[in-house]
Amino acid sequence: MKSLTTTVRSLYEQHRPNIHSHLIVGLTLALVTLPQAVAFSVTLAGVPPHFGIYAAIWGVLFCSMLNPSRVFHGGPNTAMSATVGVTLLPLAPPFGAEYMGYALTLCLLAGLIQMLFFVIRPLGRALDLVSEPVINGMICGIGLFLIFKSLTTFGGLPVNTEVEWPLWIAWQSLLAVLEIGNMYAIQIGLITLITCVIAQQFESLRSWAILLGIAAGTLYSQHLNDSVGLQNTMVEQIGNLSSIGFVLPSLLQFNQESMPDIIALVPGSFTLALLGLFQTVAAMRRMSRQVGGFTDSRKAIFSDAVSNCVLPFLSSLPTCASFNRMWLVHRLGMHSRVAIASSALWLLLLVLFLAKIIAIIPMPAMAAVIMLLGANMINWEDIKPHFKDRGDTVVFMASFLSVLLLDLFGAVVVGSILAIAYSKWQQAHPNISVRGNVMKIRGNIYYGSLPVIEATYHAALARDRSVVIDFSECYYIDAEGIRWLAAAKAAANASFTDRRKTENRRTERRGGGDAGRTSDGRRRRVDRRQRSEL
Amino acid sequence: MSTWIAKIAKIVVLSLVLGSLYLLAAHKHQQRNDARQRPVALTAACTEKLARYGLAVAEHYSSPYALKLSNKAIKSRGYGEDDVRAIQRGCNIIDDTQGQFAKDIARERWSATRFIRGTHVSCDHCHQSIGDKQDAAGNRLKGSLSLGASWVMADMYDRFTGLLLPFELRQMQCYINSSNGYKPNIADDLIRDVTAYSRFLSAALELKIGQHYDEQGIDEIAASATPKQGDDYVRGEALYKQKCQSCHGRQAVGTVTNGQVVAPALAGPNAWNMQSRNYFHYVSTILPGFICRNMPLGAENTLSNQECRDIAYYISNLPRPAGDRQGPLAALQQQALMTVMPPLMRMTESTRKQGDASRTERAE
Repeated sequence: MKSLTTTVRSLYEQHRPNIHSHLIVGLTLALVTLPQAVAFSVTLAGVPPHFGIYAAIWGVLFCSMLNPSRVFHGGPNTAMSATVGVTLLPLAPPFGAEYMGYALTLCLLAGLIQMLFFVIRPLGRALDLVSEPVINGMICGIGLFLIFKSLTTFGGLPVNTEVEWPLWIAWQSLLAVLEIGNMYAIQIGLITLITCVIAQQFESLRSWAILLGIAAGTLYSQHLNDSVGLQNTMVEQIGNLSSIGFVLPSLLQFNQESMPDIIALVPGSFTLALLGLFQTVAAMRRMSRQVGGFTDSRKAIFSDAVSNCVLPFLSSLPTCASFNRMWLVHRLGMHSRVAIASSALWLLLLVLFLAKIIAIIPMPAMAAVIMLLGANMINWEDIKPHFKDRGDTVVFMASFLSVLLLDLFGAVVVGSILAIAYSKWQQAHPNISVRGNVMKIRGNIYYGSLPVIEATYHAALARDRSVVIDFSECYYIDAEGIRWLAAAKAAANASFTDRRKTENRRTERRGGGDAGRTSDGRRRRVDRRQRSEL
Repeated sequence: MSTWIAKIAKIVVLSLVLGSLYLLAAHKHQQRNDARQRPVALTAACTEKLARYGLAVAEHYSSPYALKLSNKAIKSRGYGEDDVRAIQRGCNIIDDTQGQFAKDIARERWSATRFIRGTHVSCDHCHQSIGDKQDAAGNRLKGSLSLGASWVMADMYDRFTGLLLPFELRQMQCYINSSNGYKPNIADDLIRDVTAYSRFLSAALELKIGQHYDEQGIDEIAASATPKQGDDYVRGEALYKQKCQSCHGRQAVGTVTNGQVVAPALAGPNAWNMQSRNYFHYVSTILPGFICRNMPLGAENTLSNQECRDIAYYISNLPRPAGDRQGPLAALQQQALMTVMPPLMRMTESTRKQGDASRTERAE
């Protein structure tokens, strides 16, 4: 208890000089988060707006308490909300009691799976093996998917339920919007979209673009309501939020009748858990590098897992890192957990006192915002580096296309397998050059690359009676490789060379790592043999 | 400076794209409105049916069918011009969904073909006599999938999923599974017109809202309704050859003459998919029920329960498209089966025939 009070006091001492600037950053964050929270829950996840809002309150609060990173901002997330919607659509009609129960169960399952990733250390480490092209491919795919998915809401049409081929649904939805969409809804959506885009062009307005767009859309819809009447425009609005309180406990859908459906949720919950962890780990890694810090990703996994196990009991969507809000925190120049925690409290106040204003926001404006967020997820600057390398391109395109052709889970599987296979393939093909009777190997000597090396070695042996194997740019030899080298040596027609002496000295002076020292030892031995032979 | 020009250009291009999309939408809306206003060219069967039920623009409607049945004219609210056109279009859609008799499909059948895979499916293959099957005396028939009787049961709880299923959503299921297609948006005129027609049928037949009538849905035949012989593929094949093959063809892929479907496909790429409730291995009572009450045409109710189950079992073992929730692998497998099986079956049958012929020669 005493330590707690000292911590609080030290925190206060630390932040006292600029506590009000922390609060202002928190308010900005809350204002940016609010429309996102509402849009994610209503248009993507298919649950009432308070789910997203509680995720933005409690999710952010839990994460800022559990995660030591100074830039981490949790809360509702686009891809995760979309996954909730996609997973649950075939099971129950959106916004129904059963659907909400399943959404909470799904969230808890994902939280438990994330907990597994924390408990089983190699699993958590395996997240790092998912390369950037895979994640970027998925993010682009999800971005496009968001645009498609919000088309019907944009046109004031009912959402297509049940699963079909997403690209086909998108095309059908576009035709439906063009032919039978609600023209008033389309007008509201367009006004929101264009206001957002214009606001985004100004550096100072960029963080407020979404809020401005929604304000413009809402004003226009109010104008329509006054001139034409809501009964004629028939544009859906978010509706009353006044039942929202400080906290809203909820129960999961978990009984015997719903067991088959809950089992059907398991693949979806895996996707949800993985998507959350990927984004958390990737976003935190990138943002920490940006501010020059480092936070262990296990701590982030732990904070996500605990939050997602608790949030379903507070009627909330799952949480994970939010890239765009973390950028905002970074740009506002206030890297502090106090600011982030205060954003949650600001949001609670906003919701308690502005429920009536939130209620009249039209749904097409929300859909327009989601479309814009989707378009922003496809960032050419992030993608461009992947097209410089053929392997990267293949992996990126595979995970991008499999989001659209299969589903998110399929994309994770396909992308990861391809990425690992590609890196293995490259390792298994070391660059070998033969000059005279000297064979130089650049790369690894291990069980995978041995056949390639052996083929060149024997071809060289057929020409010359003896071959010199040059290790200068060889950085790893496994047990099988050593056995092969010993056998080649025993056959008495191979000799070894390593011209890396200066480099060795340099590593020794620096102290070198553990791995360096052992390989150094081996290299020195090889050196000695070579000298005696020559 | 140049960044500003780029930004302005970006906004202008975006506005132009969005503006042209808006204009396109306005144009399409206008086209739809015009199509709604145009008089409808009815198919022959629809002309006859709607005339018999006395559909006309009037302040009151009283059904000739009910008058004949009970000798009592019952007045109800009549139909406006828009309503009559919607009902007429709905009747056309049921009778000739793919517009094989239509002059201008886009105008007269909306975009029905867009939501159907294959070229065979039409609503009245299952919902026979334009969703209102009657015998010569005008009695409605049990298990004949009547649309009018279905409309009065609208918004019922689906027996399989437990969901409250509005009539419109039920229609979407037909598009997805029975036609192996895609669902139209629930606000589409395609669905609204069919609803208008079904509602008119219920008024014409004097059906009461919320009542269950025998002609609604299928008279399902469970295994318990048979003498417990078990369903048999071989018996089914023999029966199929005897009773169904003359219309539906040897491989059950249907028959088409002059671009018009004479008998629809029961298997192969034009048939219903593996997630349809017509698929025996998904729901085993519905296809037998349909066969017993509605097939063969003109000789309905002649097959025994066991025979219907055998035939349904046989038909469902023929290759057909996978359902859209079964994933790409199942779809690929079924597509391969549908491509490979028919020529393979033809080949084995011709060799078997040759073998039979040579055997009889030797015997002689």
